[in-house]
Amino acid sequence: MSAPAKATFRKAVPIRANLILSRIPLVVPEQTKIEQQYHDYQNQLERRMMWTFPAYHYFKKGTLSEHKFLSVQKKPIIKNPDVWYPKGVPDIQHGRERSKAQEVILPQNEGGEGSNITRPVEKNPIITTADESGDKSSLERRLRNTLYLLVNYKKTGWNFPKFEMKDGASLDTVAENGLRTIGGDNINTWTVSKKPAGVIKSEDGSCDFFIKSHILAGKFNIANDSKNDITEYAWLTKKEIAEKLNKDQFQLTEYLLTK
Amino acid sequence: MVHTISSIRTLVGSKSAIRKFATTPPNNKAACSLVQPVHHLIKIDKSKLTTRFDGLKFDKDDIRSPAYKPKDTRQDRLKEHYLNTLQSDILLINYKHNATVEKGLKNREWDGTSPYQINRPMRKPKGSNSELPDTHPIKWNNIPGLKSMTLNCYVREARDNEMLTISAALQLQQLTGCKPKIIYSKSDVPNWKIRKGHAMGAKVTLEGYEMSQFLNTLSEIVLPRIREYKGINMSSGDRFGGIAFGLDEEEVKFFPEIDLNQDLWPKTFGMHINVNTTAQTNEQARTLVSSLQIPFNTENEQRM
Repeated sequence: MSAPAKATFRKAVPIRANLILSRIPLVVPEQTKIEQQYHDYQNQLERRMMWTFPAYHYFKKGTLSEHKFLSVQKKPIIKNPDVWYPKGVPDIQHGRERSKAQEVILPQNEGGEGSNITRPVEKNPIITTADESGDKSSLERRLRNTLYLLVNYKKTGWNFPKFEMKDGASLDTVAENGLRTIGGDNINTWTVSKKPAGVIKSEDGSCDFFIKSHILAGKFNIANDSKNDITEYAWLTKKEIAEKLNKDQFQLTEYLLTK
Repeated sequence: MVHTISSIRTLVGSKSAIRKFATTPPNNKAACSLVQPVHHLIKIDKSKLTTRFDGLKFDKDDIRSPAYKPKDTRQDRLKEHYLNTLQSDILLINYKHNATVEKGLKNREWDGTSPYQINRPMRKPKGSNSELPDTHPIKWNNIPGLKSMTLNCYVREARDNEMLTISAALQLQQLTGCKPKIIYSKSDVPNWKIRKGHAMGAKVTLEGYEMSQFLNTLSEIVLPRIREYKGINMSSGDRFGGIAFGLDEEEVKFFPEIDLNQDLWPKTFGMHINVNTTAQTNEQARTLVSSLQIPFNTENEQRM
């Protein structure tokens, strides 16, 4: 009988769970000039080819509301055989000039504007107060971009929040519980998957797994216990992350981030 | 089915030769041509031959066609959200280690024990009436996405009053901004008092911006307003990426187009909503649809 083979144990290598916590964009991304022009062109085309507004369907004949509606409409130019029209002969069907987009004007209520559902929509500014003041810890900045949570470690500098693995715990639970220990319980997140989205293998054998998660509500606040390790945190776009992370680190994680 | 010459010889017997087309075979089998006639199958669209309907010669997405309708008229919020956030998440959720192509059920070969099996169509797969597609692992190029949506409004009372189909079509048009089609009953069903060819309702297929718009209204305005809404049934799904659910005539009233004009709608109609996706399984389709903020009823799942 041969002696049992000598088991060779490698030195235990650290495995870390990194958390890519993102705030998804709140508004649509900005269009390029060509996209905007294309959409405008198509929109105008659609309006020109649209069916005539069926006013008879919405305003009953002989009612006050019909009278109000009709009184604010602009009348099209009437075709008269004795007249020369420099901009083309009118082509009117059902009270609408067919060669142009129909403009439907809704009657506005006088006085009480607050209750009027036809009042014009007032848009909130896309540049928020956090954008103006340069507050990078706010979640209400850069509404058009995805923001990612980066923390500044005293020893290693800016990085994604990373946590050492404990026995028996899975990557996603370590990442989620770790986030609560450094950022407080006042945060609602949703982990996309238990599977990591990426991994970085270092030369010393250690592995950094990346778990994806979205913040749904709440706020990240550095907990008192972790104030010794972490000096500050920031919600950053991909462009800003490229400046904060070191080059190699960014190159390895770039594909996990959207703009 | 492909039979090699040698296998046919073994099946038919060593004496007989291979049959030729349009000749009586030596083994006195009835003569019939195996080549299907082709000339009856080619349809000739005569409207394309004249010069009277030039507009019809163009595709519908050609601006010269009278049926042209511009599609990219504005930025699509749902599409942007899908491309920016959902797509990568769905890819990660559906990732499986060492995934391989899972073969679907396929037609089976005959075992060749009887000469009557020559030229027979192949045997149907076990446990299914038709072939099923293969399931490919989800990669960057086949991430489940939305294809189209069909709203189907079948009005049972239309068998007595055909005019109701017009109201149903009007309701669909009001909700979607697209022109619906009237649907007709396909067969006679005496028990239900249905005759073939009778108008029974309306349907409309949505794509692109209209689909996104309808989905947004549904998930942001209509479904949250329904009292004690439990979500789509978990058993919904056609195995090939389609999810279907329904709204009854009371729930339809929550659409703002109808809600703000209730005097105009003395009667509303319930409808079936089919979401067609590029998902390959029910599970993938459910993941996609629930990511569009449409809830699923998981009560029974937890009990099991």
